[in-house]
Amino acid sequence: MMTGNTAAAWAARLADVDYVPAYPITPQTEIIETIAKWTSEGVMKAKLIQLESEHSMLTAAGTASLTGARVFTATSSQGLLYGFEMLYSIAGWRAPIVLVNVSRGVAAPITLEPDHNDVLAARDSGFMQFHAETCQEVLDLILIAYRVSEDKQIMLPSIVNMDGFYLSFTREPVRLPSPKTVADFLPPYEAFKPFRANTSVVKGPPVLGGHIYTYFKYNLHESMNRALAVFEKAAEEYRHLTERDLRLCEGFMLEDAEYVLVMTNSFTTAGRKAVKLLRERNIPAGLLKITVVRPFPKKQIVDALRNRKAVAVFDQNISLGLGGILYNEIAGTLYHAKNRPETILSVVGGLGGKYIALEEFETIFDLLIHPEKIDSTEPVFLFRKDELRDVEKALKLAGCGGWFG
Amino acid sequence: MRTLLLGTPVLLKVRFHGRGGQGVKTSCRILGRAAFLTGYVAQDSPIYGAERRGAPVAGFTRIADQPILERGYIFDPHILIVMDETLLEDWMAKPLEGLVDGGIVFINTSHHQHFPETNNHYIVVEHNLTDEALDIIGKPVISAPAAAAAAKLTGVIEKQALLEATAEELYEIGLDDETIQKNLHVVSNVFEKVPTVPHRFNEAPAARRQVISLTVGKVVLHEISNMGNAYLRRTGNWRIFRPVVDYEKCTGCMICFIYCPDSVISLDEANKPVIDYDNCKGCMICMVECPLRAISAVREGKIVA
Ligand code: SF4
Ligand code: SF4
Repeated sequence: MMTGNTAAAWAARLADVDYVPAYPITPQTEIIETIAKWTSEGVMKAKLIQLESEHSMLTAAGTASLTGARVFTATSSQGLLYGFEMLYSIAGWRAPIVLVNVSRGVAAPITLEPDHNDVLAARDSGFMQFHAETCQEVLDLILIAYRVSEDKQIMLPSIVNMDGFYLSFTREPVRLPSPKTVADFLPPYEAFKPFRANTSVVKGPPVLGGHIYTYFKYNLHESMNRALAVFEKAAEEYRHLTERDLRLCEGFMLEDAEYVLVMTNSFTTAGRKAVKLLRERNIPAGLLKITVVRPFPKKQIVDALRNRKAVAVFDQNISLGLGGILYNEIAGTLYHAKNRPETILSVVGGLGGKYIALEEFETIFDLLIHPEKIDSTEPVFLFRKDELRDVEKALKLAGCGGWFG
Repeated sequence: MRTLLLGTPVLLKVRFHGRGGQGVKTSCRILGRAAFLTGYVAQDSPIYGAERRGAPVAGFTRIADQPILERGYIFDPHILIVMDETLLEDWMAKPLEGLVDGGIVFINTSHHQHFPETNNHYIVVEHNLTDEALDIIGKPVISAPAAAAAAKLTGVIEKQALLEATAEELYEIGLDDETIQKNLHVVSNVFEKVPTVPHRFNEAPAARRQVISLTVGKVVLHEISNMGNAYLRRTGNWRIFRPVVDYEKCTGCMICFIYCPDSVISLDEANKPVIDYDNCKGCMICMVECPLRAISAVREGKIVA
């Protein structure tokens, strides 16, 4: 029994990381506390340092990685955004660190509960992104992330994402691989021309004129794309060693499904329950979970979704003024596919950790079965009447008014 | 994996209600680990907002004989553990909400039968955990005893697994051997004393909740403009101990007035403290800070609402 946070700490311990720069933020702090306990007891030999902000923390992480140290760090929400600028630099430096983000809605208003606007803000940074559904996957994906990040073909950093509360503070059974298994799976990290006191090397120099910049950006993009195959190979080896089956994207009751819900992260668990219940009522429902969000597994998504009657994309995020982020990515991916589903519905739900009731999942599938009811210009915003009553009560208590009411 | 006993649902859900500082998180973890050690699939999690001693908190344990396809808040528990009877009247904690038909409510109470006896919709079990903890452990910490009560009421947990889980969880939070032994003693007592209640859960689907399309249609600012509404919280019912001023000893130095974190102490003409018991949450900071030891702690015997 362990929480997602403890699973993340175990992954860092098993990966035998050398350096852990840290800065506390709820709901991530427990990861660092656990590592701090282990380093002080001497059971983990990494060097743990508390920096004065997430910006410094990420700078330290990236530069340490360039000396040849295997680096682990973790943050959440506002913390990720505070260090945001450095994400692009770390990727550009080709520093293969692994960063755990514990998702938490971005203020204001302030919350501690999860949605994915924090992690998806980093989607263009050059960090690969692996999104976990269970505490077990947190552990598995961190180990796989190191393997893919440090692959000579890739040399890019990774973010492993877990939902605050729903994974970070939730305990469930987690199987730990043995240190020997992990050592077999994860060879020691070798940096390219690491920083050394006696040799001079400049990383990330300025380039002017655009063409040099373009060349390097394209090179990053290529490495990202190669990471799909490298992930698949690493996951296959991991499967042999641990019997844990991780995929770029994973189907649930998908084979003969006509109506498919696409999800990511821990809310997928609730999606599975809904799909199972609908199957009991003879509705051919299915689910596709996307685990690797960057690089985006376009081919696998097209293969999984073509020939379906209707598809709904569940976004636990919102690009204000546009809609769900993944919906737009998936709709774009499917546009050129032969036999693409005629209906692609955008659903936004679970913002700030909002619970999704079975009735709300039923509403999604009802729309997929009756596409004539869909207004395709706007996402469906999952909300319930009892929740609205609660909000109205709170507004009244706080004395919130509205303008132009 | 073990199959749950006949007559219990495939997924058994237990919700704990307590107050910050009572160890709700530890309770749901002890139960979760005990279920796991008995051979089930288990999941446990706490939920709390901004941490504040005395504020209502909840914890959740799910026990199943197959993978659990739920996470987060338990809205429809089979078993409710109310660790502090005063929560029954708390309009924000709403501990009884969502209990399935035929569900079991366990209430930690210091005076038996203040609660309507078992009715058609749920079964009430009452027990005085706090005094049991005070007697043996010497402190009103009831995380382990509450887990013991829950374990017994699930009807599927082995005592040995419960004791082992208690020891492991309490060790993990850093308790010393002596305190752990005392806790095991109480856990064992509670597990024996709490009756076995047959499960007659009726899992009829709950009333359907209506899904709506949200339109706000105007600019709403999330600001709080109604000031001074804190009295509505009536934090007075959070108390386990009541601070009582001995006006003979009190010199009117005003130190308690300054230290009270909730500003519920006012001063009379002689600068002597007057405590507003509707809102005093019983943190006992005033007692610790009083240089003349003029404030003492008196155990609350009844609901102060
Ligand atoms: S116990 Fe004392 S310090 Fe604490 S809230 Fe009550 S009056 Fe204030
Ligand atoms: S701190 Fe003690 S002596 Fe001072 S005013 Fe308060 S009760 Fe009286």
